Amino acid sequence: MEIEGQATVKESQPPKFALPVDSEHKATEFRLFSVAAPHMRAFHLSWVSFFACFVSSFAAPPLLPIIRDNLNLTASDIGNAGIASVSGAVFARVAMGTACDLFGPRLASASLILLTAPAVYFTSIASSSTSFLLVRFFTGFSLATFVSTQFWMSSMFSAPVVGTANGVAGGWGNLGGGATQLIMPLVFGLIRDIGAIKFTAWRIAFFIPALFQTLSAFALLIFGKDLPDGNFRRLHKAGDKTKDKFSNVFYHGITNYRGWILALSYGYCFGVELTIDNIVAEYFYDRFDLKLHTAGMIAASFGLANIVSRPGGGMISDAVGKRFGMRGRLWALWVVQTLGGVFCIILGRVGSLGASIVVMIVFSLFCQAACGLTFGVVPFVSRRSLGLISGMTGGGGNVGAVLTQLIFFKGSKYSKETGIMLMGIMIIFCTLPICFIYFPQWGGMFCGPSSTKIATEEDYYLSEWNSEEKEKGLHLSSLKFADNSRSERGRKKDSETRPVDETPSTQV
Amino acid sequence: MAARRLLLASLVLSCSLLPCYGAVLFSSLQRTLAVTASPTSGQVLKGGVDKITVTWGLNQTLPAGTGSTYKTIKVKLCYAPTSQVDRAWRKTVDSIKKDRTCQHEIVARPYNSANKTSQSLEWTVERDVPTATYFIRAYAYNADESEVAYGQTTDAYKTTSLFQVESITGRHMTMDICSICFSVFSVVSLLVFFYIEKRKSKRSQ
Repeated sequence: MEIEGQATVKESQPPKFALPVDSEHKATEFRLFSVAAPHMRAFHLSWVSFFACFVSSFAAPPLLPIIRDNLNLTASDIGNAGIASVSGAVFARVAMGTACDLFGPRLASASLILLTAPAVYFTSIASSSTSFLLVRFFTGFSLATFVSTQFWMSSMFSAPVVGTANGVAGGWGNLGGGATQLIMPLVFGLIRDIGAIKFTAWRIAFFIPALFQTLSAFALLIFGKDLPDGNFRRLHKAGDKTKDKFSNVFYHGITNYRGWILALSYGYCFGVELTIDNIVAEYFYDRFDLKLHTAGMIAASFGLANIVSRPGGGMISDAVGKRFGMRGRLWALWVVQTLGGVFCIILGRVGSLGASIVVMIVFSLFCQAACGLTFGVVPFVSRRSLGLISGMTGGGGNVGAVLTQLIFFKGSKYSKETGIMLMGIMIIFCTLPICFIYFPQWGGMFCGPSSTKIATEEDYYLSEWNSEEKEKGLHLSSLKFADNSRSERGRKKDSETRPVDETPSTQV
Repeated sequence: MAARRLLLASLVLSCSLLPCYGAVLFSSLQRTLAVTASPTSGQVLKGGVDKITVTWGLNQTLPAGTGSTYKTIKVKLCYAPTSQVDRAWRKTVDSIKKDRTCQHEIVARPYNSANKTSQSLEWTVERDVPTATYFIRAYAYNADESEVAYGQTTDAYKTTSLFQVESITGRHMTMDICSICFSVFSVVSLLVFFYIEKRKSKRSQ
């Protein structure tokens, strides 16, 4: 008796995953200490490579007291280089969003990381204020890997845990901005003790972040996968994933006003975080007459808070979203970011070292949690143009950083303390537009879901596709997502109204 | 009542008699030292290579007993105003403790007030001295390690007899080569990966 039946059953069974998954094969659980392919492995690869990019982009600030003497920089030169370091990523992030939509996060981020690594290597041979500005500018492009991180997490993790996944990946990557303030002075000190002189030691020190960046890109390419089912290229060729057109993705992204509001508000949580990364070491070194090493440690604690604060923001978003739906997520974001602004104002006003450190840490917790909360909302703004919306928001973060450094921290117009206080006031104002975000199917901060017409998740996400595209079946993944996002109604509403699907539910 | 008033008065009096441990102000110092240095006005010195000969001593025209409290003399390399513009970390402040004008110490020598001859030193410009315009200043310290007098090679407005130092770059040929090689390697490896990916997806079809 031949056991043919068993063989055929094995062939048609879907691939098994280590974590429980939904209909799109996205993980519904987030297990931090697992490296199981593809979900958790993607998580670890993305946060480590993003961490490397942050380390490189902010490797210069803690060593500025040495670099400014070696390259004969003025305060204006330093300010300009700081602005340049975050301005490259404004457009790079938008471009990265589109690249993720079209080519997949794995190739997009690895390409960017390997193409910006030369800028970090060349920092070692910078010899003037111009070359210093250029290397910081090009190194800063690597911060666009943030978008691929968030895109990748949104592709691998389902609605109930997407905020947490985005928050931890983003937070642990941003950690690089803090870790570098510790690592670089340490590496510099080691190299100098071995025997190099100051002006050579800092140059050699830059090879460390550069090599780290290069190696993390290799790991991405070798071990990473774009989607739970495989890589974009193979899925495209097999017909399992539809290839979208850039013009459509672009149109549906930029016409969504929610993307623009989030871009502005993200500029005043993440943008502020980047600004502080650039100025805080010098601030403590000069204002309180500390040693390089000590100023670096204090500056590091701002970025290091990311280990819990941003993931915390993501988790708060998910917890509030579970109970109160999208309205809860929006309220939580507004409250936390506004409080961040308040503490920023206080930081600018305190005069003693101890108080400054305490206020700075509290400020960092609120500021970074707001970043995590923002990306609890972003995955729901658009399904078709997820990458572009993530990119716009991420780019908006960098615009905020450019603006605050340009207005408050360039040259010698304001003292750093006054600049910090004024930045806090700007945070509060630029967070107000969140009140205007409205989803017809879920509501906004001050209005409930639309009652004049029955609004469903399907209506919202399928409005991005026209009837021709729907006939071709291009909208099916948006349909699955709409179904999975019903949890954003909050606990009470979800059990009351469960609309009947227009199309038969897809069993995968 | 009268006893309490007396106690208060004596407290106040004794407090005012206590030596003042506040910060020493530069404007309170007297210029009693004569300092000369070998670089001519506008000369450019190379860091790590060129030498400066500094000579310092008490100004002989001053009355006898002027330098009796001096115990140590410290000679420092100081930034000229042109090198302080837009650089708050080199700012001149009156309180010497907070002053950042003179950040490089050339030498510290004990001072013997009995010995009237000036002291001198030939100093090689160190390799961590940045590119800037400088003058030289000497501070005289008393037994409490506080500044009591000074002397400098330039005038009161810091405009004359300034010289420049051109620092080393800190770069080496090996470093330049390594930077370029690693950069090229990063870009080339990316192209290699693309090629491998393309081959793999063609093969899997």
